[in-house]
Amino acid sequence: MELTICHLYPDLLNVYGDVGNVLILKHRAALRGIDVDIINTSIGENIDKDNVDIIFFGGGQDYEQSIVSNDLNEIKKDALTSYIEDGKVMLAICGGYQLLGKYYTAPNGEKIDGLGILNLYTEGGDTRFIGNTEIFNEEFNETYVGFENHSGRTYINDHTPLGKCIHGYGNNGEDGYEGCIYKNTFGSYFHGSFLSKNPEFADRLLTLALKNKYGEDVKLENLNDNFELKAKNSIIQRLK
Amino acid sequence: MSEINIKSILSILLSKITAFSAKHIVKGGSNFPGKIALKIDKSILKHVSNGYKVILVTGTNGKTTTTSMIYNILKENKLHVITNSTGANLYPGIVACFVSNYSFFKKKENPYAVIEVDEANVKFITEHITPEIITVTNLFRDQLDRYGEVYTTLVKILEGVTKVPESKLVLNGDESLLGKLDIKNPVVYYGFNTPIKEDTTLEINADAKFCKFCKAPYSYNLVTYNHLGDFYCPECGYKRSELAYAVNKIFDLTPENSSVLINDTEVFISQSGAYNIYNALCAFAISKELGIEDSVIKASLQNQSSSFGRQEQISIDNKDVQIILVKNPAGYNQALDTLALNTSEFSAVFMLNDNYADGRDVSWIWDVDFEKISSLKIEDIFVSGIRMYDMAVRLKVAGLNVDKFILKEDYEELTDKIKESASKKIYILATYTAMINYRKYLHSKGYIKKIW
Repeated sequence: MELTICHLYPDLLNVYGDVGNVLILKHRAALRGIDVDIINTSIGENIDKDNVDIIFFGGGQDYEQSIVSNDLNEIKKDALTSYIEDGKVMLAICGGYQLLGKYYTAPNGEKIDGLGILNLYTEGGDTRFIGNTEIFNEEFNETYVGFENHSGRTYINDHTPLGKCIHGYGNNGEDGYEGCIYKNTFGSYFHGSFLSKNPEFADRLLTLALKNKYGEDVKLENLNDNFELKAKNSIIQRLK
Repeated sequence: MSEINIKSILSILLSKITAFSAKHIVKGGSNFPGKIALKIDKSILKHVSNGYKVILVTGTNGKTTTTSMIYNILKENKLHVITNSTGANLYPGIVACFVSNYSFFKKKENPYAVIEVDEANVKFITEHITPEIITVTNLFRDQLDRYGEVYTTLVKILEGVTKVPESKLVLNGDESLLGKLDIKNPVVYYGFNTPIKEDTTLEINADAKFCKFCKAPYSYNLVTYNHLGDFYCPECGYKRSELAYAVNKIFDLTPENSSVLINDTEVFISQSGAYNIYNALCAFAISKELGIEDSVIKASLQNQSSSFGRQEQISIDNKDVQIILVKNPAGYNQALDTLALNTSEFSAVFMLNDNYADGRDVSWIWDVDFEKISSLKIEDIFVSGIRMYDMAVRLKVAGLNVDKFILKEDYEELTDKIKESASKKIYILATYTAMINYRKYLHSKGYIKKIW
């Protein structure tokens, strides 16, 4: 089996180590004998949506995100819209998450257009939400940890959140939820990299992508996640 | 003693007493005495720095080493010079440095102060001091939970610079963020006219790759590392400024040292790595601007020993241990390049902490290209620090051999394991507080003589 991961704007949206998510997906797939091809897609390039199985969309600095905003709407909007609506797998972190929504307001007050594929929007805040965070997803019965660092307050309307905040601010510091799920698109503020301490979630993404591609339920064999789970647990212990 | 009021005298005295107590009772406190002084007299810095010619060193990476290099050159030139060499680079630490060197009675002739200052603290210093020279080494992303983005860091530095339009700026010309600044100060640039690698494409996750004026991607005539090099914007024509001081040739680059040609002077640098060539180049440029002879600069750089925790060499029993401070992706990648220059076998310790001074978010380790050391022959791979499991995951995903991992958070157990290692050469790559704390431990066991 093989999977193709498309990394959006790796040259522009490259802060906070979010690239780790791509490295981890590849690593975990490879240990199961699945070949992974990584395609970097940046300014001026469209997405070959039918030949991509997972899209990773990270966050960047405001300067770079304003460059990305134009390119998204001019070149990639149609492909990304049908990719998401078709139920294909995407992980969007921080700035990438915000850009899937209608708009976000940068700290300097500038309103930056998002793709508007997800029914959410982000307002600028006076303070940054910074720190280790723990959330719980009831449906999956899984706990995720990550490091959030954002001034944007995201409001997800009717979308399902990724989890309920146990510790930390989450989407907006008001409603007690973090992230967003729409079909097989997952948005989150979690850095860390997110998948580094949440191997269950990494495998969830791989499983969904394999099912989309090969049309059958694939059971991934278990890996030794000793380090990953101890890393997760050490955060949970510290937040207590 | 000119125009000194009671408040200032009291401020200085109390601060000195605190510094003395801190030194003798709790070892190594470097900010507290300054805080005391400031509490009593807010403008104390103006008074205690009076008469000094001040050189301010700021930027993301290389501050401590560059500061130390300039300090040594000035000393070699027989000048009276002081510095905040303990890495106390925030406002109170700098105040404390001047206070502890302050004498009510005898004044030194033509004194210099070479001061390392944190990027966000420049403005507090320039409020009271007009430096002879301000230098900015580079701007990499660093501890985003503290300062935000590289652009924000630059704005913070410039806030300080605009307060002192007479101060001369000596800037890294290869740093695209530092070109064509909207300021009144006289500016001198230094940089490289020779590449370190043949490739002129940037690493995918380098910083600041897009023109600061028109947002188009930069092109490069040569790249040294990360986003540093001879850049130009093919869209709007913005390009690197003319260099007054340039590395024109690299003769040799080894795990221990390097030798280069700066302008037309051959310089031997006793510390390894491309980043130390930049540090030496910066020190060279500043010294020349101060009118110091080439021979003095050369002699000093040749004998420069490392600052604490910056490639410091120590012995633990029969092991040669080198401690390298790593605090952001750009610096870490450079440190790994230094490891990769080794032709014989070695072991490495990866220490990751997440205290405030390290940056509380450890995500940045995923921006470090550990993949490039996965093919090296590393005998033992020690992992330590508060966030050692995060580091272990990172190294595992990078393809390092998990069978060689030894995870020890406890310093004593770690040190015992290091002693048992089959390799003689051990590199310790540690984040700031990991480095500080492990050094304290080694000091308590007698492996290091001087704690600072």
